[in-house]
Amino acid sequence: MRRLRLAIVGLTACSGCQLSLLNCEDELPELLKRFDFHFFPMACSPALLDDEYDAALVEGCVSMPHERELLEELRRRSGYLVALGTCAVFGGVAALRNGEDREQLRRHVYDDNQVAVETCDPQPLASVVAVDAGVTGCPPEKEELLRLLAGLIRGALPVGIDYPVCTECRMRENLCLLTERNMLCLGILTEGGCGARCPGLSVPCEGCRGPLVEANLTEALEIYAQKSFDRATVLGRLRRFCPEWQS
Amino acid sequence: MNSTVPVPAVVSAVRLMTADTSLLTLRTEAGHPVAASFLPGQFLELSLPGVGEIPISYCGYPVPGGSIELCIRHVGHVTTPLKAVAPGDAVGVRGPFGRGFPLPEYAGQDLVLIAGGLGMAPLRSLLLALVKRRDLQGRLVLLCAARETGALLFLDELLELKAQGYIELHLAVDKADNCLNGPPDCRVALLPALLDLLDIDSGRTCVAICGPPVVYPLLVSRLQTMGLESARIHLSLERRMKCGVGRCGHCAVGTRLCCVDGPVFSNAELVGMEVSLA
Amino acid sequence: MATQFIANHNLELLLERLRTYAEVHAPVRGDDGGVRFAALTPGTLPDLAAPRTLLPPKKYLLQPRETILNYTDEAGYQLPSVISSPLILFGLHPCDLAGINYLDQVFTCDDPDPLYAARRSALILVGVSCSPDEFCSCHRSASPLKATSDLFLNVLDGGFAVTSGSPRGDELLDLANGIFEERESAIPEDMRRFFGHAVTAEVRPELDATLPEWQELADRCLGCGVCSICCPTCYCFDVLEFGGLDGRSAARVRQWDNCLFKSHGEVAGGMSFRKNRAERFRYRYRHKYHGFGALQGIPSCVGCGRCRVVCPAGLDLRPLAERLERWLP
Repeated sequence: MRRLRLAIVGLTACSGCQLSLLNCEDELPELLKRFDFHFFPMACSPALLDDEYDAALVEGCVSMPHERELLEELRRRSGYLVALGTCAVFGGVAALRNGEDREQLRRHVYDDNQVAVETCDPQPLASVVAVDAGVTGCPPEKEELLRLLAGLIRGALPVGIDYPVCTECRMRENLCLLTERNMLCLGILTEGGCGARCPGLSVPCEGCRGPLVEANLTEALEIYAQKSFDRATVLGRLRRFCPEWQS
Repeated sequence: MNSTVPVPAVVSAVRLMTADTSLLTLRTEAGHPVAASFLPGQFLELSLPGVGEIPISYCGYPVPGGSIELCIRHVGHVTTPLKAVAPGDAVGVRGPFGRGFPLPEYAGQDLVLIAGGLGMAPLRSLLLALVKRRDLQGRLVLLCAARETGALLFLDELLELKAQGYIELHLAVDKADNCLNGPPDCRVALLPALLDLLDIDSGRTCVAICGPPVVYPLLVSRLQTMGLESARIHLSLERRMKCGVGRCGHCAVGTRLCCVDGPVFSNAELVGMEVSLA
Repeated sequence: MATQFIANHNLELLLERLRTYAEVHAPVRGDDGGVRFAALTPGTLPDLAAPRTLLPPKKYLLQPRETILNYTDEAGYQLPSVISSPLILFGLHPCDLAGINYLDQVFTCDDPDPLYAARRSALILVGVSCSPDEFCSCHRSASPLKATSDLFLNVLDGGFAVTSGSPRGDELLDLANGIFEERESAIPEDMRRFFGHAVTAEVRPELDATLPEWQELADRCLGCGVCSICCPTCYCFDVLEFGGLDGRSAARVRQWDNCLFKSHGEVAGGMSFRKNRAERFRYRYRHKYHGFGALQGIPSCVGCGRCRVVCPAGLDLRPLAERLERWLP
């Protein structure tokens, strides 16, 4: 069986998604048999982007011109381009201040130091290139990463998830943190697939996997209001992982 | 063997039919019902190991040797990777499932088959069955339409059947692409317009339809205008038939299950139903 | 009438005897206050007064997510081996018994589902009578489903009147020999009386799509799926296949699905036969109150009230059903 050639790249992000892959320690020997990690600057050197790739897995959002160029280059060189993690899929934490004046933001961080950082509002990958699939999560579940890779071996992309965190939370027979314990849990608006990792530990969902497809924001805000969580608080929480949540 | 467990099958031939559609020939154990005893209009569940399982209509005719023909459009989660299968590859099959076209009812009748796009696949199965016992029917008419001439499936075969006098054939394409190089007598028209070419004896005609769901209401209403009773119109419906045995709950049409009670329904069975035609 | 009576204080003794026969699971109240069917350890008493458990007992028959087939290049697709040792489910309310009766009809017909059938044959059902709360609707209904059990405990003052419903129930009665006393007692009306009626849902060809309720439900539904997860009779499942990294093996998994999810009516290429939630609610309604396929005419809502309790938006199909279905009072 031919080894698939991969490019694994991080743009503006914390590298946690790539790290999640490296944390699949039990599976790494098998992965090395199946995949040629040809361009994976975080893990392998030298890293030369000089080949064609069966798939590129890209973490992070696009916030600088050279990232845009790199992403476009990866798109040209890759059969599949997969957005890895919430930042790549939705913009994520880096996009929290989108819409604010970037010069002011620069001053806020660097004061009057003349640091030449040319940045733009951080964008998800799909606003720059065509993306074949996304694996959301901050970071994605290890199982999801392995399934993505196992799928690629067979030319298959992951099937989208159309249920929220609540689905798996109730499958685990948890009490509802929002309705039964009055906590600001974002599970009803957040894409599932994490196995209700946080609510399973009585920690409210922070919405790290981004918006559920067909999320019913209007009704959810109504329910939050009944629990005395106002609109601004809820939207503020939601936007930490996806700036697209609008009022 | 339980109907939930696929039996092994091997891809014996792959033929690219159009840019996005292939004809797979599979070979499975001789005599197994999945290959030997299906009826036109029935379907099987095709497994691509490691990827998933999908319902596919039979498009050939049962043969004792255990070979199965399936016409596959590469658009979905499973069918896209299926584009890469080659002779010798292993797949799995379960079936046959569902209710096919009512062949006994067709005896002694004039038959009109109406195929749109990939809908030609199950109707080819029916056509082969009817041609095999051509003496049992009166007229045998096929109306066949597709997006463009290159998407007309089994064209050579159909033209051959026409040349040999087995069938009356009317072809149409949506777009006037390179119709000049296309088959003779191919019109630029939508499927329902082909009905205008027909002069039928509504009291002795049965119609079998398979095509994009969006054309069904128009076809049915035209046929009714031509005097055809609902019970004489059979439609093959597409639904998400995950399990094939009436359990997964995805494929209900009204209160009937497409996988068990269908996928072929008479229009009389569908009257008044919220058959969402997408 | 003369009944086999067991006093409340002897319940623990009965459970001890039952544990010699098989593992016992029963409604247990957790530290968080939630009541769930779980293993009943010695010294713990079941919470028989709780109106309902979070998940219905279907979790013992169809797991939320389970491997239904294993694949290897060498052996092809094979059923996983299911080792089901006998398990006593103790303290099932009549609605949950009826729910199991419905699932049996779906999964153990002429061509039984092998995993379900294996688990089902290992289950021993011990029912208990109960009193409806404000969420229950069994008592406002009649259902063709049967609330049958191997053993049934009718709640009386100070104890239970116990009746056997099967040879296995007889065995359990023998096992508890000496714990019971013959007693003259008036048995209150059995909660099971709502089940086992020759009720057939009137299956109309179509539901009136113009009723405003469909859109009202659709506007408020969050699509979270918990109504079906907590339903004793919802059985829709999705099927996924996961290949192994070795490229030669795979596992086929089925997981609980919900008819309000976007993908439920979708086919390859993304076309959907139920694009909007109003259509999906009508689908749900038809399945619950009219039945699909071979079970057409058999309403499957057992009135347990779980969907009303767990829906974050407080949605409920029942009032609409009570308006539309003549067989419902």
